[in-house]
Amino acid sequence: MPGQPMQVYEVFRREREGGPMQHAGNLLAPDPELATHYAREFYGRRQESVRLWIVPRAAIVDLDDPDLLQPPFDRSFKKPVGYSTEIKAKLAQARSRAGTEQVEP
Amino acid sequence: MSESRRVQDFNRHVAAGGKVEATDWMPEEYRRAVGRFVEMHANSELMGVLPEREWILRAPTLKRKLALSAKVQDEVGHAQLLYRVAEDLGKPREAMLADLLAGKTKFHNVFHYPTESWADVGIIAWLVDAAAIVAQQALRESSYAPYGRTMKKICWEESVHILHGRDVVLTMMNGTARQRALVRDALERWWGPLMQMHGPRTDPAKDRDLAWRIKNKDNETLRQEFLTVYVPRIREIGLQPPDPELRQDPDSGTWRYTEPDWKELYAVVTGHGPRSAERLEFRRLNYAETQWVRDTVLAAPLAA
Amino acid sequence: MSAQALDAPVRAALAGLLLAMADDEFVLGFWDSEWTGIAPLLEEDVAFASLAQDEIGHAQALYQLLADLEGGDPDELAFGRRPEEYRHARLLDHPRTDWAFSVARRFLYDTADAARLDALAASAYEPLAGVVAKMRREETYHLLHMHAWVERLATGGQEPRARLVAAMERLWPDALCVLAGVDLLVEAGVLAEPLAAVRRRWLAGLAPELERLGLPSPPATPPAGCRGPDRSDDFRWLWEQFTMVRRSDPEAVW
Repeated sequence: MPGQPMQVYEVFRREREGGPMQHAGNLLAPDPELATHYAREFYGRRQESVRLWIVPRAAIVDLDDPDLLQPPFDRSFKKPVGYSTEIKAKLAQARSRAGTEQVEP
Repeated sequence: MSESRRVQDFNRHVAAGGKVEATDWMPEEYRRAVGRFVEMHANSELMGVLPEREWILRAPTLKRKLALSAKVQDEVGHAQLLYRVAEDLGKPREAMLADLLAGKTKFHNVFHYPTESWADVGIIAWLVDAAAIVAQQALRESSYAPYGRTMKKICWEESVHILHGRDVVLTMMNGTARQRALVRDALERWWGPLMQMHGPRTDPAKDRDLAWRIKNKDNETLRQEFLTVYVPRIREIGLQPPDPELRQDPDSGTWRYTEPDWKELYAVVTGHGPRSAERLEFRRLNYAETQWVRDTVLAAPLAA
Repeated sequence: MSAQALDAPVRAALAGLLLAMADDEFVLGFWDSEWTGIAPLLEEDVAFASLAQDEIGHAQALYQLLADLEGGDPDELAFGRRPEEYRHARLLDHPRTDWAFSVARRFLYDTADAARLDALAASAYEPLAGVVAKMRREETYHLLHMHAWVERLATGGQEPRARLVAAMERLWPDALCVLAGVDLLVEAGVLAEPLAAVRRRWLAGLAPELERLGLPSPPATPPAGCRGPDRSDDFRWLWEQFTMVRRSDPEAVW
C-alpha cells in the first residue's frame, strides 16, 4: 500500500499464560503491518511477552470523567470494607453470648 | 476558575506527589519544562549510540558482538520511547530531530567524547551507564506519569547493560598486562566527564524541575549516590579513579573530590566537545541520505 | 545420525556446507549491524538490529556444529581466518550501500536461505536438523519483514522503485551463489535434494511476486568464484574491522 502519515499505536501485552493484557506503551508506524513488527520489537524481542494487542490510538474510546468514575456518595455497600467494622463488633457480641470467645474465625 | 488559581492547584497537586497525564490540563510552563527535559534525554539516547556504534563491528567475540548490538539497539529504543513521550506533549518528532541536527538542542556531555579502544566500551557500559541509571531510577517517580512509566521500562532494560560493561572490564582486568593498561587509560580519560555528568550543584529552591517534581533528586545527591556505590567497586578490582582528592568523609559519608571543570561541561554541551561537530555532521548526513525512505512511507496517500 | 556415522568425503562436504552457511550468516549480520543507530526510522532501527543479531546467533550455532565436527571453537572459527579463507556467498561481499540495497540483499538472502533450510529440515544429521528447526522459526519474522519492505519500496513511487530495481539488478547474479554447492550430501541424507534443485524451487517461489511487482528476474547461471577465495575490497575492510581487537593482543581473552 502507498505511504500514509504515521499513526500512534498503543500496545498491550500479556506477560505469561493466564495473565491479563496490560498497557505497555505506544509507537509510531506507517501502517498496521509494520506496527505489528515494531510492537514485537519493543515489547517482545526479549521474549518478555506471550501475546500483544496493537491498537491505533484513534480507535480507543477514553473515559476519565470523575463524575462517572468517582461519584461522591457513599458506596461502601458495594465493597467488603463497608462491612468489616460492623461484623467485627457484632461477632464479638455473639461470641460473648455463646461463651465462645477465643474461637478463630 | 481563574488561570492562576488553576496553576496554584496544579502546583500543590504535583508538590504533594500527584501525577500528570498527557491529556490532563497543565500550565504551559510545566508543559514546556517537561518537554525540554524529555527532549534532551531523548537526544542523549540517540547521540549516545554513536560512540559505541563503531565498536559493534569491532567486538572481538560472538558473545560480545551480540551483547553490544543488543545494548545499542536498546538505546535506540529508548530514544524512540522518549521522543514519543515528548511528542505527545506537542512537539513533532521531525521538529525535535531537526533542532538536534541544527545544534539548537542539547545532549548529555559524555556523548561528545571519543572512544579509543575496546576498554572504553567496557568503561562506558559499566560506569557511564551506572551514573545514568542513578538519575534514571529517581526519574521513575516523576510527576509527569508517561515519563515515569517510560523510565521504569528503561531502568529494567539498562540493568543488563551495566552487567555487560562490568563483565567486559573484569575480563580485561583479569587478562593481559596490555588489557589492564587499556582499562586504566580509559578510566583516566572518562573520569572527568563522569564527574561532570550529573551537572553542577544547583540551589534546590531555584530549580523549577525539582519544584514540579519532574525530577526528584538534585544533581549533587545523584553524584554522591554514584560515588558511594561505584568508587568501592572500581577500587576493589585494582583501579584508581584519577583524583587524589577523592575521599569519603567517615562521619557524614559525603564524598569530597576535586571540583569538576564546569567550564568544560558548558563548552561541551553547547557543542564544542571533541566529537560534537563530527557526530552531528554524521547524523545529518545519514538523516539526509535516508530522507527518501521516510518520504516513501510517509507520503500522503495517492488519490482514491 | 551422528558425526561418527559419516564417512570421510561426506563429513568433509558437511563441514564445507556448515562453514558456508555460518559465514553467510556471520557476514550478513555484520553488514546489517552497521544500520544500528542510523536506520531511516527509529522503530525500523530496532527491528533491523534484531535481524542482524539473529544472524549472529545463527552463525554462532553453526560454528558450534562445525567445531563439534572438526574441533576448535566458534570464536576461533569466526574471527581467526584470513579474508581468503571465508566461504560466504558473493552476495555478502557487497557493503551495506543504501536502504534499498540492504533491503534487496536481505530479501534475496532470506528467501534463498529459507529454501536451503527447507532442504535441511529433515536432515539425517540430527544436530543440524535441530539447529535448522530453530532457525526456521526465527526466519519467519525475517521473511515477513523483508516482504513488507520490498512491497513498500516497489509500490512507493518512482524513486524507491528505481533504487530497488537497480539494487536487484546488481545483486541477482551474486544472489544465485547462496545455493551453489556440493551434492554428496544428498546421498547421505544430510540434504533432501541437490542445491541446484533447491535453487530452482527458490526462484519458482519468488517468480509470482517479482512479476506482480515488476521486479527484475535472475540470470540463468551463477558467476564464477561463488564462495571465494577472491573477496571484495569491501569485505577486506570489514575483516580489518572485526579482527582488529583480537589482532591487537592475540593472547588475550575478551
